Amino acid sequence: MTAYLVRRVAALVPVLVVVVTVAFLLIHLIPGDPVSVMLGPDATPAQIHAARQALGLDRPLWEQLLKFYTRILRGDLGQSYFLDRPVTQALLERAEPTLVLTFSALLVAVVIGVPSGIVAAAQPGSLWDRALMLAALLGVCVPGFWLSLNFIYLFAVRLGWLPAAGYASILVDPLAALRYMVLPAVSLGFSQSALIARISRSCMLEVLAQDYIRTARAKGLSPAAVTWMHAFRNALVPVVTVIGITMAILIGGAVVTEIVFNIPGLGRLIISAVLRRDYPVVQGVILVTATAYVLINLVVDMLYVLIDPRIGYE
Amino acid sequence: MSPGRFRRSSVAFVALLAFVSSAALAQTPRRGGVLRVGNLGEPPALDAHWTTASITETLTNHLYEGLYSLDASNRPIPMLAESHTVSRDGLTYTFKLRQSVKFHNGKEMTSEDVVASLARWSKQSIYGKALFAQVADWRAVDRYTVEMRLKEKSAIVLISLAVPNNFGAIYPKEIAEKFPPEVKVTEYVGTGPFKLAEWKPDQYIRMVRFDEYKSRAEKPNGYGGGKTAWVDEIRWIPVPEVATRVAQVETGELEFADDLNLDAYDRLQTNPNVRTIVSKPYYWLVAVFNKKDGLMTNAKLRQAWQAAIDIEPIMKNVAGGRAEFYRMDSSLAPVEIAAWHTKLAGLPWNEHNRDKARRLLKEAGYRGEPIRFMTTQEYKWMYDFALLTKQQLEDVGFTIDLQVVDWATLVKRRNNPKEYDVFTTGMGAFYDPTHHIYLTASWPGWTTDEDILRLQAELARETDPRKRMALWEAQTRQFYEKVPVIRYGDLFGLRAMRTVVKGFNERTERIRFYNVWLDK
Repeated sequence: MTAYLVRRVAALVPVLVVVVTVAFLLIHLIPGDPVSVMLGPDATPAQIHAARQALGLDRPLWEQLLKFYTRILRGDLGQSYFLDRPVTQALLERAEPTLVLTFSALLVAVVIGVPSGIVAAAQPGSLWDRALMLAALLGVCVPGFWLSLNFIYLFAVRLGWLPAAGYASILVDPLAALRYMVLPAVSLGFSQSALIARISRSCMLEVLAQDYIRTARAKGLSPAAVTWMHAFRNALVPVVTVIGITMAILIGGAVVTEIVFNIPGLGRLIISAVLRRDYPVVQGVILVTATAYVLINLVVDMLYVLIDPRIGYE
Repeated sequence: MSPGRFRRSSVAFVALLAFVSSAALAQTPRRGGVLRVGNLGEPPALDAHWTTASITETLTNHLYEGLYSLDASNRPIPMLAESHTVSRDGLTYTFKLRQSVKFHNGKEMTSEDVVASLARWSKQSIYGKALFAQVADWRAVDRYTVEMRLKEKSAIVLISLAVPNNFGAIYPKEIAEKFPPEVKVTEYVGTGPFKLAEWKPDQYIRMVRFDEYKSRAEKPNGYGGGKTAWVDEIRWIPVPEVATRVAQVETGELEFADDLNLDAYDRLQTNPNVRTIVSKPYYWLVAVFNKKDGLMTNAKLRQAWQAAIDIEPIMKNVAGGRAEFYRMDSSLAPVEIAAWHTKLAGLPWNEHNRDKARRLLKEAGYRGEPIRFMTTQEYKWMYDFALLTKQQLEDVGFTIDLQVVDWATLVKRRNNPKEYDVFTTGMGAFYDPTHHIYLTASWPGWTTDEDILRLQAELARETDPRKRMALWEAQTRQFYEKVPVIRYGDLFGLRAMRTVVKGFNERTERIRFYNVWLDK
């Protein structure tokens, strides 16, 4: 088992090398450069050239890539062109909002999705089943952007119950943090809950068709006991996978939600960095996101062992 | 008078008194409060010398000041300068500086700070470079006097020192010398009414009142005159999504929101706590031709484009159908820049004469080759006017290859004459004829017409205002004959402000929050 773990962590390295190299090449090869953006549209070619030299952007691409690798190995992600600070600092400043949003949205998604799926599966074909799966379908189809803006219009502008946008740190002012997080977490969570609901339902249906469930019922166990004590845990493995994937997607930055609700997280950072051609930041965010993605997958795989003792790795 | 009448009239009198005094009280500025302003995004720098970005312009004009500023009619007036004299031959300008003006770090501003700051500005800023191309010597004479000696007579000394964009901000000498011109300053010390308290990128920029600010004695006048920081703090909050900016000014989470979409106008009008502001000027729309390489080097093709387009329906569409948000004008300087606004008749602007256009196309020898027209959706109005132009031109016989890219790509590509034929952009306010960048050989598009360049050079030297205006009118006629760019109409912008915000000057091109107070 330990050997398996070590192998999995070691496999992280080639994945990251490929991801980071591709990201570097892509962002450098698309037209536009950070200097023209920062100096303003009326900068002269001479000014642009001088600024590019100061930033090392006039060096050949392979040289810049090599410099980038040597810096990463030292743990230095470089300096943001636009923000005048180390990339690591920019990322750390943005990590908390994205993590808080991710976990809140994930909580909402799981709390809505899993019970919906289970209840739907418990009475397949019923009104409940149809209604819940229709809601799940809406969650998949309705654009998150549209939902977010409508939430803002209803709950903030018309009713005045919640703020329209913004962010407060949970460490500084937990009550304000909660108020700011409600609308983004719910609109994002609702969209993500759809997949979880549908997968939960399918898995439960499969498990509920098993012989041992029939035995449990025959023994006289209540429907609740059958569903929650016996069926649920066995249905969990694929559901946990989907929850893990959802979390990884959210960590990458729920970009649209962060922009609409003005949350200063990683998603917003990477979009502005791409538009501004702030290369070090783009590379840094991709590196961090790719690492997080791979590690989450690893954790999910480890969780399987806990949930289902029949699963083991060697 | 009967007792009843006496009572009624005294009640009326007291009511009148109360009304008048509360109205007067409402106009009395009060100190205090935090003014939250929602804008488009992060500034690339808070170094006024370094970039022409308009967000930097707005922010830096609260922290720093220059020797001159602009009055309500956009003419230069002294700011950090007390006065100036010009030698008989017009070649030496001597500026007397105001005394006891403090920087945010407590140091007094003197001539050595002015010399160092403007020397740095002269190497990086487009306006600094243009002015100092004519300067032979720039030095401090004594503690409060600086002297500029010119190589030739110049018309642009004061105006260059007065423009708010990419301006000659006065920094302490130590900071001006520490940061080379091509490297942004990262220490922010100025003489302005606000000083920088905190900058958290993508979250907010906090500016607080500078208690030792020395205001000029005059009343506020345009961007200049007396400035008072009534509010304790201005909090600039980047809100990239425009719908969110609108929502936040409606809920009161922001006291001011800038750069709003015109569709929000009707909705905001119905809100009793919000005042809408039509900002003029905003941008005037242009299509810039590549005159160095490719199809549009042919003057007749450019003239054909100019003859073909029907500008009013385009402007109306871009302005969301609202007459309040556009203006048809052929003058190259908008009405608000009174000194340079022209009213010339007989210009081939907005002729929408298809026959003339077709004739010119034929004379140009155009055989239907696709013309690469570059635009972006990041500024919706650019995309809209490009699309409508394409339709109109294709009706007349042009073949337009519309290429939609992001802004960063557009800005990069337009420097390369092989990559496009025409691109869209918006021009802001140019306070002097010599500042019209599209009439220069180095700006994208590369205007190299001899007559135009000659007139620009004369405009830089001619100091008599009447002769200058005559030159400018001649230049305007040249513009419409040689067609370096196509001038559409003037587009206005939308801003929104909570009604508790008082004292805001609605007539300046960009927003300023000195002399503004919160009535709550």
